[in-house]
Amino acid sequence: MIYLYAITDWSATPLPALTGLEEATRPESYPYRDIAAVISHTTTTTPSPVETNLWQHEGVLEALMTDRTILPVRFGTVLTDEVVLKDVLETHYADFAADLKRVCGRVELSLRVLWEDEGSTTTLTGAGGRCEEHPRPSPPYLLPTQSWREMGAEASGRDYLLSRLEAERQRQSLLREAKTLAAEIHTPLASLSIESTYQVLHTPCLLLKAAYLVEREQLKAFRQEVGGLSVAYPALRFLCTGPWPPYNFVTA
Amino acid sequence: MNESAAREKEIVLVDLLDRILYKGVILWGDITISVADVDLIYLGLKVLLTSVEKAEEMRRQTAVKVLNCLAPSSNGGSRS
Repeated sequence: MIYLYAITDWSATPLPALTGLEEATRPESYPYRDIAAVISHTTTTTPSPVETNLWQHEGVLEALMTDRTILPVRFGTVLTDEVVLKDVLETHYADFAADLKRVCGRVELSLRVLWEDEGSTTTLTGAGGRCEEHPRPSPPYLLPTQSWREMGAEASGRDYLLSRLEAERQRQSLLREAKTLAAEIHTPLASLSIESTYQVLHTPCLLLKAAYLVEREQLKAFRQEVGGLSVAYPALRFLCTGPWPPYNFVTA
Repeated sequence: MNESAAREKEIVLVDLLDRILYKGVILWGDITISVADVDLIYLGLKVLLTSVEKAEEMRRQTAVKVLNCLAPSSNGGSRS
C-alpha cells in the first residue's frame, strides 16, 4: 500500500530525511512529468488518526514546504499500489499543475476571531475609534425564546409568538452586527493576501474564521496588520496560526 | 508548560484538525461521505471522523432543532 502525503512541483533537490507515518517507510518522491507525489510504502490501509500521526503527516508537509511548492493531501489517503498512484497523477495532472502554480511561494495563515463571552454587555471599539455598546453576543443559533410552558399559565399564544418575533429581531440584529464587524477585520487582511476564505459565526462564539493565502514576503506585514487589529478591537480575541501548507486553497 | 502555552497548543491543534481532516487534496470520492451537507472523513469500515469543531457544530445544530421542535409543546413529556 502507498500512503500519500503531498503533491509537489518537480525539484532537483533530494527530499530531506523524513520520518514516515507509523511503520511506513521513509517518504520518497514519485515523479510524474513535472510534478511528483511524496509517498511512503505501508502495510496499513487505515492509519490511526491519533494526534501523533496527524502531527507526523503535518511534519512531513512542513519539511517539504521549506524547499518546494506543495499541495497537502488529506490525512489518511492510502492507495493500493504504484499503478493506482500513476493513474491518479495522470488523471488529476492538470488540476495539480494549476494549483501548484497558484500556490507557489505562498503559504496559508489561519485567523479566528472570538467574541467576548463574559459580561452582559461589552464595548467593542471600532477601527475608527468609535465606541458602541453591544449586547452580549449570545449564540445566534440559540434564540433566547422561552417555551410556552416556561412563560407561565397566564401567557397566551400571542405572547409566545411576540416573544419569538422579538428573539428573531435580536438574532437578525446580532447577525448584521457580526457581519459588519467581520468585514471590518477581514477586508484589510484580504488586501494583503492573494486569496482568502472566511465564515462569519461558524460557531456562536467564533465571530470570524478565515484562511488567507499569503506571499511569504508578506507574512510580516500580515502579522503586523493582525496585531494592529487586535489593538483596535480590544474586546475581541485574535488567534492567528501558521504558516500552514495551503490546505484551504487546493481545488483538486 | 504554563497555561498560556498549553492554550496556544490547543488552538494550533484545532487549526491542524480543521485542515488535515477537512481540507487538502481529496483523491477518492469514497474517502469522504456527506451527511446533511457535512463532510465526514471515511477512514475505515467503522471509523468516521470529522474535525472537532465541525462535530461540535453538528451536535449543537441538532440540539437546537430538537429544542425548536419541543418548544411549543404544552405537555413536555420526556423521552427516554
